[in-house]
Amino acid sequence: MIAYTLSAGLLFGLYFSLAALGLNLVFGVMRLINLAHGDFLMLGAFLAYGLYTVAGLNPLYAIPAEVVVFMFAGVILYYAVVPRLLASHNPEMLSFILLFGLSQIIEALAVIAFGNDERAIPSTIYGSRPVSLFGQTFPVAWVVSAAVSALALLAVYLYLHHSRLGYATRAVMASRDEAAGTGINVHRVSAIALGVGLALAATAGAFSAFMLGSIGPDMGIHITTVSFAVIVIGSLGNPLGTVLGGLVYGLGLMFMETYHPSWADLLPFVLLIVILLIRPSGLLGQRVRLA
Amino acid sequence: MCPSALLSVERLSKRFGAFAALDGLSLELAPGEILGLVGPNGSGKTTAINVISGVYTADSGTIRLEGRPVGNLPIHRRTRLGINRTFQVPKPFKALTVAENLEVAAVHSNAGREDIARHLDLLDLSPLADRQALTLNSAQQKRLDLARAMITRPRLLLVDELGAGLNPAELTRMAQMLQEIARSGVALLVVEHLLGFLRVLTSRVVVMDAGREIFEGSLEAAAKDSRVIDVFFGH
Repeated sequence: MIAYTLSAGLLFGLYFSLAALGLNLVFGVMRLINLAHGDFLMLGAFLAYGLYTVAGLNPLYAIPAEVVVFMFAGVILYYAVVPRLLASHNPEMLSFILLFGLSQIIEALAVIAFGNDERAIPSTIYGSRPVSLFGQTFPVAWVVSAAVSALALLAVYLYLHHSRLGYATRAVMASRDEAAGTGINVHRVSAIALGVGLALAATAGAFSAFMLGSIGPDMGIHITTVSFAVIVIGSLGNPLGTVLGGLVYGLGLMFMETYHPSWADLLPFVLLIVILLIRPSGLLGQRVRLA
Repeated sequence: MCPSALLSVERLSKRFGAFAALDGLSLELAPGEILGLVGPNGSGKTTAINVISGVYTADSGTIRLEGRPVGNLPIHRRTRLGINRTFQVPKPFKALTVAENLEVAAVHSNAGREDIARHLDLLDLSPLADRQALTLNSAQQKRLDLARAMITRPRLLLVDELGAGLNPAELTRMAQMLQEIARSGVALLVVEHLLGFLRVLTSRVVVMDAGREIFEGSLEAAAKDSRVIDVFFGH
């Protein structure tokens, strides 16, 4: 039982890392919590569901379309909102209000467009034979979701640490003013980061029907809460800390589902409180001395 | 405007509410020249650097780099045109290593690994290349700040109180580094309180008070000028 729980925790941990990564990337670059993050994941889920129902398309093949659409949406959203928000006297509070409002609008429009019913994509789309992993058997859809998540996490690592744009992104994360002082176009880098953040959320959304059981217009707030817990556990503003946070959350979730399922919904809040009490900077956070 | 001037600042003004931080400042700087900018606290020296580098936008006046107006450009555009600066309190990317700090700055200047290695050497940072910037002491962070500015290939470098907090040996070495940078053709506008340090660097200074230039000439002449004496000792 423990081997199954650990293996499933690893698969779900990778998935929740992907689900939360975009939120942390956006926070790292803009210092704003995107309260509509889960709603963009929900839109990604419905785009994949729509492509499946209309064209019979496997969610795996919906990913390129998700990335293009949500990258574009992120860049537009950035230039429409963020520069004015950052120039305001209280960008943190205004961003909370604005992004919470955006979350509500997206959810309301999704209800109008798709209705309130829960939807699902049969996991047998990947075949009905389970996959054996670490001596345990799992649905193929779980393994595919975790594998795509791992690839996406690797791609973000390569983007941040082995590309010119990634260097610029990390510089903006460290200090927007200093980054501008090295010739970096901070707004362009930030707009791309928001686009990448939304594209990652949408990619996670494509697999949410398998990993969360079903999709619905109201799933956004739950995903945002879980994602927030994951990035606080790992380290706020450190995208790679998200992987550790996701694994801790995934393993914790599977243990709760296995041994105390009725308490599982409490997990993100319990982890959030525990980590804020014992290590507020997150497991990979650093105490930065301000000169 | 002198045709050979790299930087030409004319009647620059900047107010913060009722306080006039800059009040019609004008100055010029030729390639490879070192100009000292001195004055009592609150005289507008750092504001001048902030406005020229693009941190603040001037309320009026013009800033030209080789005759091209740059006063309305954002910071990153000015950096790419060749204006960069250091900070009184150095601000490296603390989470990155020393070498990574320079690699970030090299993104838009197309400086290669050899350039980065050369600047690490020039500023005595080679042994610290793999250290996280957070762990450097103040003098090392100042050298990193300078190296990071230099890797963007500036033609005009604005230096804000680089000498503050350095011991005599570090001051001597820093002066040598700045002179070497100027010899390569980079113009330096140096805000400094340490007049001994400034005297090593240059003989030409602009003295400011209340956002205005009150004197331009040599440090020796400034020491005998009644307006300068009044500003520093007369209040």
